[in-house]
Amino acid sequence: MEVKTEQFSEVAKEELRKAYTFLKAGATFVRIRRETALSTFPDAAAAQAYGAIIRAEAIARLPELLEEFEKNALSNGAKMFWARDANEASQYIVRLAKERGIKYVTKGKSMVTEEIGLNEALEKNGVKTWETDLGEFIIQLLGVPPFHIVGPAMNIPVAKVRDLFMEKIDLKEPTSDPVQLGHAARIFLRDKFHRVDMGIAGVNMAVAETGTIVNVENEGNIRFNKSSPRTQISVMSLEKVVPTLEDALHLVRLLCRNCTGQKLSVYVSMDNGPKKSDEIDGPEELIIVIVDNGRSRIYQDTIAREAMRCIRCGACLNGCPVYRQIGGYAYGWVYSGPMGQVLNPLLLGLEKTQDLYRATTLCGSCKSICPAGIDHPSLFLHYRAKDVSGDAALRAKKTPMMERIFFRLWMWAVTRYRLWNWGVRFVRPFVNKEAHGGMLREVGGLFKGWFRSRDLPAMAKKTFHDRWIEAQKTEFRSQKSEATTEKI
Amino acid sequence: MKQSARDEILNKLKAAPRKTIPSRSERPVLRELSLTPEELIETFSKNLSQEAGIVHRVKDRREALEKLSQIAKEEGLKKVIATTDDVIASLDLAAWGKENDVRVMTPQDFDSRDSFKDAVFEEADAGITGADFAVAESGTLGLIHNKDQARLTSLAPILHVAIVPVERMVAVYEQVIEKVFGEKKNLPSQFCFITGPSMTADIRGVPFKGMHGPRKVIVILVGE
Amino acid sequence: MDVVSVFIPCTVDLFLPHIGEATVSLLRRVGVKPIYHMGQTCCGQPAINAGYREQAKKAAKHFIQVFGDDEEVVSPSGSCVCMVKYHYPELLSEEPQWRNRAEELSLRIHELSQYLVDILKVEDLGASFGGKVAYHESCHILRGLGVSEQPKKLIRAVKGAQLVPLNAADACCGFGGEFANRYPDISESMVRDKAGDYLSSGADLLLLCEPGCLLNIGGFLSRNHPGKKVMHLASFLAHYQETGNNGQ
Repeated sequence: MEVKTEQFSEVAKEELRKAYTFLKAGATFVRIRRETALSTFPDAAAAQAYGAIIRAEAIARLPELLEEFEKNALSNGAKMFWARDANEASQYIVRLAKERGIKYVTKGKSMVTEEIGLNEALEKNGVKTWETDLGEFIIQLLGVPPFHIVGPAMNIPVAKVRDLFMEKIDLKEPTSDPVQLGHAARIFLRDKFHRVDMGIAGVNMAVAETGTIVNVENEGNIRFNKSSPRTQISVMSLEKVVPTLEDALHLVRLLCRNCTGQKLSVYVSMDNGPKKSDEIDGPEELIIVIVDNGRSRIYQDTIAREAMRCIRCGACLNGCPVYRQIGGYAYGWVYSGPMGQVLNPLLLGLEKTQDLYRATTLCGSCKSICPAGIDHPSLFLHYRAKDVSGDAALRAKKTPMMERIFFRLWMWAVTRYRLWNWGVRFVRPFVNKEAHGGMLREVGGLFKGWFRSRDLPAMAKKTFHDRWIEAQKTEFRSQKSEATTEKI
Repeated sequence: MKQSARDEILNKLKAAPRKTIPSRSERPVLRELSLTPEELIETFSKNLSQEAGIVHRVKDRREALEKLSQIAKEEGLKKVIATTDDVIASLDLAAWGKENDVRVMTPQDFDSRDSFKDAVFEEADAGITGADFAVAESGTLGLIHNKDQARLTSLAPILHVAIVPVERMVAVYEQVIEKVFGEKKNLPSQFCFITGPSMTADIRGVPFKGMHGPRKVIVILVGE
Repeated sequence: MDVVSVFIPCTVDLFLPHIGEATVSLLRRVGVKPIYHMGQTCCGQPAINAGYREQAKKAAKHFIQVFGDDEEVVSPSGSCVCMVKYHYPELLSEEPQWRNRAEELSLRIHELSQYLVDILKVEDLGASFGGKVAYHESCHILRGLGVSEQPKKLIRAVKGAQLVPLNAADACCGFGGEFANRYPDISESMVRDKAGDYLSSGADLLLLCEPGCLLNIGGFLSRNHPGKKVMHLASFLAHYQETGNNGQ
């Protein structure tokens, strides 16, 4: 997928003009659904905390769990391909398709396949790709990026979907009924499922102890992609591995409740290798593609690697006050919202994603919601610190000289209170130059962002520090005079 | 010699600094574990109904077939595809089909994947299956897929009817996992949890059933 | 008499000193002796938020030197208290002696409403206000410190005051320090929503416990809805005293 992370501010501005009221209205609805679903646990906080421990362990034991998963998946009869980067992964899949004379593939929603640009690689090599998740299908036909990681087309007006379907999938009768439109998509894609020879899906969890691949979905398209064709390709980013099946199911409980407020998604399918010889459907070959694409590099950083705990539930998007304003496009790549703000910088490098970990108020909603226990605000601060230190591993961008000088001076003053207070007195007349009636209104320069829509109180003529000293003096004087009075 | 991608990736991961593995607290216990068998059935039915699944409770095999006849009439079923798992096999659907003027196909009728797919995608008005488990915690069916439980039977037709003996009701997923995966070998090629009809809300958050999978799921629970 | 050390955030010191005075006044009202260490400057939040960890460490050490011997430290700012409680031990994790001092201090530092209600067990500060008030739940106070009931208890104890619900009370107001200046479009949209929720709550006054939020929401109201006021809870309680002994 094209990287537009450097256009964050422009795109955000454009998106704000659209005033996504449905996001704000939807936020309450989604929040209640999530909280209601979590309350089905006797102790929701404990359930969430347990999910965090599972994912923390999975990341801590990553290499050994991957080896265990591979061993068991291979003994189940699956094939495995390890890909260092996007190019290796997508070229391998292209080769598989060409070798098998595949004309088209059907795909389930898989963000890692967007990461590796799989669809483009296949199309370039004469293999048609059909996204089959309804939301992904719509955005594929429209040629737009996903708006939300769970509901990629949720912002597309019904009229636009109608026009799109009339143009591209032979919808005969115009209708503004989402159900009718969905039905038209069902009919169109059903034909693709029927005759498909190679199905591609992502992986929600890869279970180390049994070599099992777990997929979670509501529509049924992933089950079709896995069971109808002769070849199943399951693409996973390497952090998807979990220790045991019980762990996987606990996470699935959390995933479904956090994501859509369901106890369980309609279909949870678990694959252990290809079909047996006497089965009439199911894949004759199951090929698992494990994608690194920078993750083994990220793994070297013991703080940043925790971002890989993410189970893609999307709850952080729903709870984010910034996402709620701007929607998904501004984040500029595969992953959006807070999880995109922690992942995109690691995968693309800090230099290209400067805004992603700065366009946050550090409000902590994401952290409080996350069933994997990711501390997004701390990760944002970690990346900012990497920019200051100019860390090469994360491809940081060194902060501007003026800022570095400012903080050097700031540090001097903050540790020397007399210097600090003197600095305040020195700076005040400049700051308060434009003050009227105790308020600053029209200030340009570095702070024009604030002053465009907000006033600021002028710097106090007497700081608290000054007032305290004065109050002490007054008290001392009055104590003194009392004493003198008493004497008399 | 150049390292394989696999070795390169794994070696990089192994070379990274180690972090302590967090110690596990007790896995949180679920309420359903303390329910009686009757309460489990009630909970299962309630949960599945909430997801627009339809649940019928019948006493025995005979009543199950009667219920099936009723469904066939209501839904106007002409041709169905059935599995050959132990539950369905014990019902003699071939005979039932003759009595109810419904053509009952099974995967064994077809000599190839393609001809089976034609039938299940284009001809079958319904898929009739047994189920290996019914899980109360979410109104979920558990299906082990093998030659007697073809995958597409419960997925492609617009209606899925599942006939489930109540002895197969369990409280939570872990009990299923233990039975299916406990030995860690001889694993089925695929195991599925199914909770109600297929659905989506991808167009403006408007939910509807029957996106790609069945639009309707009917579960007939058999037994006292 | 209990002595408590007052930590006045730099935002309050420089722009909102009356909040500091109100804090001191309230503490005296409840029979505590507030002391103010001259050496305090800033908790270091601006540095850590900008990624300047070395500089933040220096600020942290200075802070610990200044406040390290106090039995209790109280501050009218949740974000600063969070900084000390949660960031200091992590910042100083590689220097065991400093980290230990930071961890000890983290047990003894409190946000003002938390100190009054949980530690002093006081809810009625003798204030009275005949009108409706709404309360904005600041992010660091709510999610960082878990403080939500305490300010509301203090508000409910105010004679005549009616605490009305505020839609999306715990939604971020869009301050976020540098965020407000760097991403003004988004910040503006957030504070506009917050102001809108305030206006439609029917409250006569909006209360909060975070100086940053006060500058943000107050600044927006001043420019766009001049009649509508927002106050820090400390200022409110100190100002609307029953006995007519007004705050500064």
